[in-house]
Amino acid sequence: MLSIKNCLIDSETWQIRFPDMQLDPDDLLVIIGPSGIGKSTLLHWLLGNQPKHVNISGQVLIDDQDVSQLAVENRHIGLLMQDVFLFPHLSVEDNISFALPKSPDLNSKKQRRTKAHSMLEQINLEHLGKRYPQSLSGGERSRVGLVRALANQPKVMLLDEPFAALDPSNREKIGKWTFQQLAQQAIPSIMVTHDLKDIPIFAKQLNLADYYQSKETP
Amino acid sequence: MATTLRRLSRVLGWWLVMCIASLPVWGILFGLWPDEDTSIADLSRLLAYQGLGLSLSQSMFSALFSSLVSLYLAFLIYSQYQSHSKVGGPWLEKYLSPLLSLPHLAIALGLVFLFSESGVFFVNGDIGLPRKGLSTFIMAIIIKEVPFFLLILIAVGRQLPLHGWLLQGRALGYDISTSWWLLVFPNMLKQMRLALLAASAYTLSVVDMNLLVGPNIPELFAVSVYRWQGSFSEGDQALGFWANVLLLVLLAVSIIFLYCHEKLAIKVLQHWTVLGRRIRLGFVDTLGQVWLPASGLLILLMVLVFTLWSLGFNWRSDTFSLRNLNTHLWQDEWLFVALPLQNALLIGVSAAILGIMFTLLALELQRQKGRYLPDYIWLLGILLPQLSMVLGWQVSHIWLEGGYHSGWVVFAHFPFTFGYAYLVLKGPFQSIDANYELIAASFGYSPWQRWWKIRFRLLFPATLSAFAITFAVSIAQYIPTLMIGAGRVTTITTEAVAIGTGSQQDVAALYILLQSLLPLAAFLITALLSSRVAGPKHSTLEISRC
Repeated sequence: MLSIKNCLIDSETWQIRFPDMQLDPDDLLVIIGPSGIGKSTLLHWLLGNQPKHVNISGQVLIDDQDVSQLAVENRHIGLLMQDVFLFPHLSVEDNISFALPKSPDLNSKKQRRTKAHSMLEQINLEHLGKRYPQSLSGGERSRVGLVRALANQPKVMLLDEPFAALDPSNREKIGKWTFQQLAQQAIPSIMVTHDLKDIPIFAKQLNLADYYQSKETP
Repeated sequence: MATTLRRLSRVLGWWLVMCIASLPVWGILFGLWPDEDTSIADLSRLLAYQGLGLSLSQSMFSALFSSLVSLYLAFLIYSQYQSHSKVGGPWLEKYLSPLLSLPHLAIALGLVFLFSESGVFFVNGDIGLPRKGLSTFIMAIIIKEVPFFLLILIAVGRQLPLHGWLLQGRALGYDISTSWWLLVFPNMLKQMRLALLAASAYTLSVVDMNLLVGPNIPELFAVSVYRWQGSFSEGDQALGFWANVLLLVLLAVSIIFLYCHEKLAIKVLQHWTVLGRRIRLGFVDTLGQVWLPASGLLILLMVLVFTLWSLGFNWRSDTFSLRNLNTHLWQDEWLFVALPLQNALLIGVSAAILGIMFTLLALELQRQKGRYLPDYIWLLGILLPQLSMVLGWQVSHIWLEGGYHSGWVVFAHFPFTFGYAYLVLKGPFQSIDANYELIAASFGYSPWQRWWKIRFRLLFPATLSAFAITFAVSIAQYIPTLMIGAGRVTTITTEAVAIGTGSQQDVAALYILLQSLLPLAAFLITALLSSRVAGPKHSTLEISRC
């Protein structure tokens, strides 16, 4: 469960008071709004990556635990962006192995690779395991990116225009597949998008422009 | 007619730039052409030379160890500064300029003046760095190579989505330091091959620093090669020939070693990546934070000590007082130093301008062709051992009955200034959006006008940086100046080495100080000019190793 409290995005000329919010395990919140209003900035703040051009204050709670002061690596929040940044020096399988959490049954290289392979198998992508990111298509990259993010067992998932680079036919297919995976794993998620067609029917929606306040006097 | 002329000038341009790019190869080939009968017996004589094994292994060790340590240190510093992005990027580049402008010789002698057994910090002591020894040599090389690697890392880093990789790494639960080493380093290491090779080839064949601070018994191999090549004693030329061959073998071995190192490092890091291992560097991380400020302080101390020595202050006998300082030495030496300074200035400016002009020509020709040739073709001057190359040029120079004047020395510096100018200018040149020229074309400007008024104008700040760097490269050249000028063309560097190897510390300090001031002045002037010229600021200096 993700809760956001007292969140204020404050720039020199404007501010946004984000409403207090609670997301349950299978919730998807979609944030929309015009370019430059701070949608991605908000996501990065939730992740723990402090933006430089605006001040953001507030509280982020995951399963009632305040993570606001924790570094990115300690928050257990996954991030999927338009460019999924698969690491080019690692094969698909090794990209996923890298994301697997440490546990006694995932101690050896072989165990981790087997686990990565089985994750790919579950979604019929095992044929991509030995390939390198450079040889993947846009759609394949997006799917591997999500598998890698899920392999890390995040408690929350953030999606920053994840389908923007895909062609329209892939976009719909992969969008559907992504939300299905997130729902199956019951991970509360927040997605930022420009395109209203990306928003599934069951998602909650929030337009950031509704909370925008200018500081400049007319 | 106009089309034919354009085609002809393009062919002529390609012919010219390919000739320049291949000069190092010609040097190596001519250098391998024995000018007296050589036999396997001469090779056996070389191999039986006393101390050869130790000399070779020390040369190899110093080249590989200093290059790799410098690379790892530079990456550590780079990751630390980039992680604190408020001070990273352009700030780091500006900070590096003074470190880059100080020639190798100045750093070597500065270390001796400060830390040798009779240096400032160990006056009358028996600890400290040896006046001449492997440790002093390696330390000087590392101090000088770290900024060189840092600037290449900055240039390489600009082309990689570092922020995205690091953010993903952290979102997957890894700390920033682990993310740098597991995700960024393997990708950067592959792109550092040429730089590593250039650094190790430089250390393998450098003579001036060796003469100044390198070990004596046995001397490092480059000094032996140089001695045999220049000797008139019977049989020494044959030894010089085989030694030259051996130097190339050493280079080949170092290439193989560096390649194996790259494979092994990537393999180990990949293994850790799959295992999800965290990397804890502890105090080594702190080294990355303090290295640059410490180097800056060290260089300030060096310049201060050189200045004080040149003003008559003797550390071993004087207590510090401003009254002890005088300009007698400057006045006495000015008569001797004026001509070498003037020569250095003239040769440096000419070689730098030539290097930049032909680099721009090479880049423009490749742009017009729509395909860029691999970098190593253009960088042979800094990838091959200088000693072997210059020997070949010397042989050709004698064969052509060329005179001993500054023109030939400029020509001998040219392949090096060309190589460095190419390293500095390629990135900025490629990053200029072709649409600027397209818009100018729509206004009716001819191709030449577009190039001059748009492309060159946008490239001007980078050209200024390239000038400072190539000028510093030319000022620091010792072997090409000495071998092609045959001692008749003296520069501040040839004089500084001659005096630095003697025992007059005060005169050596004066010459090294003057040698350092020239490139420093060039860096300052070009930085000032650059700040007054509009242009893509990211295209400032990228790479230098003087």
